[in-house]
Amino acid sequence: MRLIAASILLVLTLTACIVMVRAPFHYDQQDRDNISIGATHEHLTGTDDLGRDRTLRLAGALLLGLLGAAAASAIAGGLAVSAGLSAAFAPNWLGRTILYLSDVALTLPWLFLLMMVRSSLPLNLAPIHSATLTFLLLGLLGWPAFVRANHARARTLRASSWLMQGRAAGLKPLQLGRQLLPHLAPLLLTQFLIYIPVCIVAEANLGAMGLGISEPLPSWGSMLLALQNSALTANTHWIYLPIALLVFVLLLLEMLLVEVKS
Amino acid sequence: MKRLAGAALRLLRVASLVLLAVLGTMALLRFAPGYFSDAREMDAEHASVVREQLQSQQQREASFPAMVAGQLHSWMHGDLGRSRQFDAPVSSLLHDRIRTSARLLAGGILSGWLLALIFALPLSLRRGSGGEIWIALPVALLLAIPAGAMATACIMANTGGPMFVLAAIIAVRDFKLVYSLLRNISSAPQFLYARAQGFSTARIVREHLLPSLPGELLALAMTSFVLALSAVVPIEVVFDTPGLGQLAWDAAMNRDMPVLLAVTLLLAIGIGVAALFADSRSNTAEATCA
Amino acid sequence: MTLNIVLVKRVLAIGLGAALALLLLPAPVFSQEISWSLKNDPGTFDPAMVDEQAAEMVRFLTGGVLLRLNRTTQQVEPALAATWTVSPDGKLITFHLRDHLRFSDGAPLSSADVVFSLKRALSPQAPVSEEFLDAKNVTVDAPDALTVRVHLPKRVVGIGKIFDEIAIEPANRPSQGRVTSGSFFVADYKNGEYVRLARNPNYWRHDAKGVQLPYLASIKLDILKNRDQDELRFLRGQYQLIESVPPDNFSALAQKAPRAVHDLGPSLNTEQMWFNQSPAAPLPAFEKAWFTSKNFRNAVSLTLRRADIARIAYSGHATPANGFVSPANKLWYNQSLPPVRENINTALTALAQDGFRKNGATLVDREGHPVTFSLLTNAGNHARERTASLIQQDLAAVGIKVNVVTLDFPALIDRLMHKQDYEAALLGLTNVEPDPGSMMNVWLSSSPNHQWNPSEKTPATPWEAEIDRLMNAQDSAASDAERKRSTDRVQQIVADQQPFIYLVYPNALYAVSPTLSNAYLTVLQPGIISNIDYIRAGAK
Repeated sequence: MRLIAASILLVLTLTACIVMVRAPFHYDQQDRDNISIGATHEHLTGTDDLGRDRTLRLAGALLLGLLGAAAASAIAGGLAVSAGLSAAFAPNWLGRTILYLSDVALTLPWLFLLMMVRSSLPLNLAPIHSATLTFLLLGLLGWPAFVRANHARARTLRASSWLMQGRAAGLKPLQLGRQLLPHLAPLLLTQFLIYIPVCIVAEANLGAMGLGISEPLPSWGSMLLALQNSALTANTHWIYLPIALLVFVLLLLEMLLVEVKS
Repeated sequence: MKRLAGAALRLLRVASLVLLAVLGTMALLRFAPGYFSDAREMDAEHASVVREQLQSQQQREASFPAMVAGQLHSWMHGDLGRSRQFDAPVSSLLHDRIRTSARLLAGGILSGWLLALIFALPLSLRRGSGGEIWIALPVALLLAIPAGAMATACIMANTGGPMFVLAAIIAVRDFKLVYSLLRNISSAPQFLYARAQGFSTARIVREHLLPSLPGELLALAMTSFVLALSAVVPIEVVFDTPGLGQLAWDAAMNRDMPVLLAVTLLLAIGIGVAALFADSRSNTAEATCA
Repeated sequence: MTLNIVLVKRVLAIGLGAALALLLLPAPVFSQEISWSLKNDPGTFDPAMVDEQAAEMVRFLTGGVLLRLNRTTQQVEPALAATWTVSPDGKLITFHLRDHLRFSDGAPLSSADVVFSLKRALSPQAPVSEEFLDAKNVTVDAPDALTVRVHLPKRVVGIGKIFDEIAIEPANRPSQGRVTSGSFFVADYKNGEYVRLARNPNYWRHDAKGVQLPYLASIKLDILKNRDQDELRFLRGQYQLIESVPPDNFSALAQKAPRAVHDLGPSLNTEQMWFNQSPAAPLPAFEKAWFTSKNFRNAVSLTLRRADIARIAYSGHATPANGFVSPANKLWYNQSLPPVRENINTALTALAQDGFRKNGATLVDREGHPVTFSLLTNAGNHARERTASLIQQDLAAVGIKVNVVTLDFPALIDRLMHKQDYEAALLGLTNVEPDPGSMMNVWLSSSPNHQWNPSEKTPATPWEAEIDRLMNAQDSAASDAERKRSTDRVQQIVADQQPFIYLVYPNALYAVSPTLSNAYLTVLQPGIISNIDYIRAGAK
């Protein structure tokens, strides 16, 4: 099962790369005589509302979005698990402080920090740098939501008999950590999976604030957000391709990551 | 005495959380770009009046410490201020919208639990444990759909409303807990033993499962509550429900300080109290284990 | 037994017949309610303090005015004032009120109420006071209960239209729209949800048969922030009209409800881009040199394909623009201005004059700096975002690299108006007033709304000085012909210098349910409901 999922995912990524490299035109090339059309000989899955080839843009969006969202999710997860573990294994006061700080972080409107970041950057920031920065920020700001769950799990594990034996036997924290991680894995992987589409959509919303993946780079989140608008107007079913692809990719990731107890 | 000290400490924790949240919000909003701007400045006909208003505001709020002191002072006197965009007292705005949001939250959480129960019950009662993956996959998929996307999908399909979406979100996330709870009845050793002894399911539920439920339910309530709080903003914005979430979003977009502060205050109190319960529960759990 | 069945059948038949009759009869007058949506809560219900669109809509529907501007003919017509006269020097206006006027609560309306309302409108906080030019020195008096005199220190051109915006309220008890002399009054308001207006039972206007207007019993204005729902609710019948349909949705609506949608051609609004020419801008000197160069601006203008913008960004529901006055503004449009036709060769020639040259695929200036700039616009407007992408591609053809940055409005305003920290901007201008006098604040170089170089102490260039002179001239001109000459000249200068590069005039797009009758569609705001008194709802 896992092998199948992994190989399909790999094939998908490779196809996207090949499409980007071998396509006869550029991803931002506007075929202005063929706006919002369905599948044709030249455009295999049609064009978007500016005449840009859908296959090409989706391939680009897949690579950029998946890479960025996965990186952001990994960063957020890494920070959350470190905080959770520290809170569980550190002395009581430190643990409580970490949790307290995560609660404060949950209540603050980070939107404005993002706006401040944007206003301190030059307007002429290259789209790819803006994209990288956005995903980095999403990663850095995503950890508070996951800390308590990690903390609760780590605490349960701390109280488990095998871990106590390990500590009694004199295992160092790093070795304990290595023993712990497989038990934390299901929770971590679920969180990783949940946060990926959150990042994809959040990136599109941040586009309204000057961050995100700016034109002419293809943005998966923007394609999803534009769906509601284009569903009213377009007369081809290919407009649903971005959402279908997202669901498909998520399914593959799940099959790869989510552990199933037998 | 120790109990009193403990209670006082916990109260202090919540109070300090609220204070930090409020200060942080004020700082972020005040120094974010566009605080002293208004869209009406672009309207050549009406701009001069707006400009005067903004200038006087800029003079009043030039120094951040003075601004904070002024805000805290008016709060001490029970005055929540006046909304910049609605030209109405913040308290009256909150009063109407709290009811809408509270109804949405309560209805959504309860319906979510009910939905989770409805789906978990037949699945947990089946014999054998094969095919777990066919449950795990759809659940994980639904988990991955953000609240806003689900709301938009409902609008496009012309089915369901805000409460339905909130219930779906809560149900999917609580499904696992409810499912494993119910599964325990059929497969945990103590329950298997009790069944082998000939106890009926009803008796097992009554005597063995129910006593441990309150603790589990409390955990469920807290996580559902915090989850619902974060989901309520995109849901209200997409469905155009006039609740606190939409108010908060509008206030943020329009840099409406009094409203945003009031909403942050409520949010911080909510999260602080939820955190209190979480900490106290995990403390008792630890005490039980140790 | 049989008799009973017969009786039952008879009763059923009569009942059904009655029900059918009720259904087929036209809905009785005075019991109909129609509904549409507002983008946001009205900022205020005080008619004297109105400064945004939603509040203006409520004021239009509720405020009783001395004179009403007929949006179809663009002529001022008497309303609460039966007759009015302007003295030859333009400094004295006399209004004679109609007899037996009453407010919606039954109280009589006399000149005292008019004087009170006019004085409120003349106060410095009231946005409309600016239109009087010297509101401080305007005096109002009432020689008797039915006469009001307004003394102006300076003649104001088009003074009649200003009274269209002043609502007459009860003296000394301003009621925030709850007690009015207009067609409706504010009956109920729930913040974030709706405003309900109820019919004024004492409205002064009657139709030709003597039936008192308005025909409608009430109007429900929903506050709808999420605009995507507007079309859905219209199609479901919850709303009977859409005030301005976004261009994308127009085509979708046209498929689903072809009889309901109307494209009236260009509106008065414009979409334009401009470059930052402010000397205070935190930009490098070579960029400032580009933006202040007439050849550069003209070259950019000649490279843009406006027909594509109209066709693609606006789904065909826009008209390529050549100036700040839209052709829909028949009185003031300069007919002799030619349309702008894209011409890359002419553009490159103009650029070459300033020392720009192509270095491979990139355009560089005479010092070798590659020409690249950021284009600032607001998020949330699909047509504008697409326009930005189209501009990006068009300019790439001459080697200019454009970076599109979308910001939220407050941050955008901050950069544009306070810090001048931007390179180029793409925005639209909503022109409610066709009269060029309303645009003084945009064209006077000393004004903070002189977007490309706000609040100039002295005009930075000779052509800006010329525009100042011409705009002041048209403001105090004696005849309309003179005003037209001055305004035409301003349009010509703008076309030559391109401080604003006008792209398109978005079309006036409306959706009206076929169940409404007597809805006259006009390009002038408020487009559909300008004839609100006569609008009827009911099955057709």
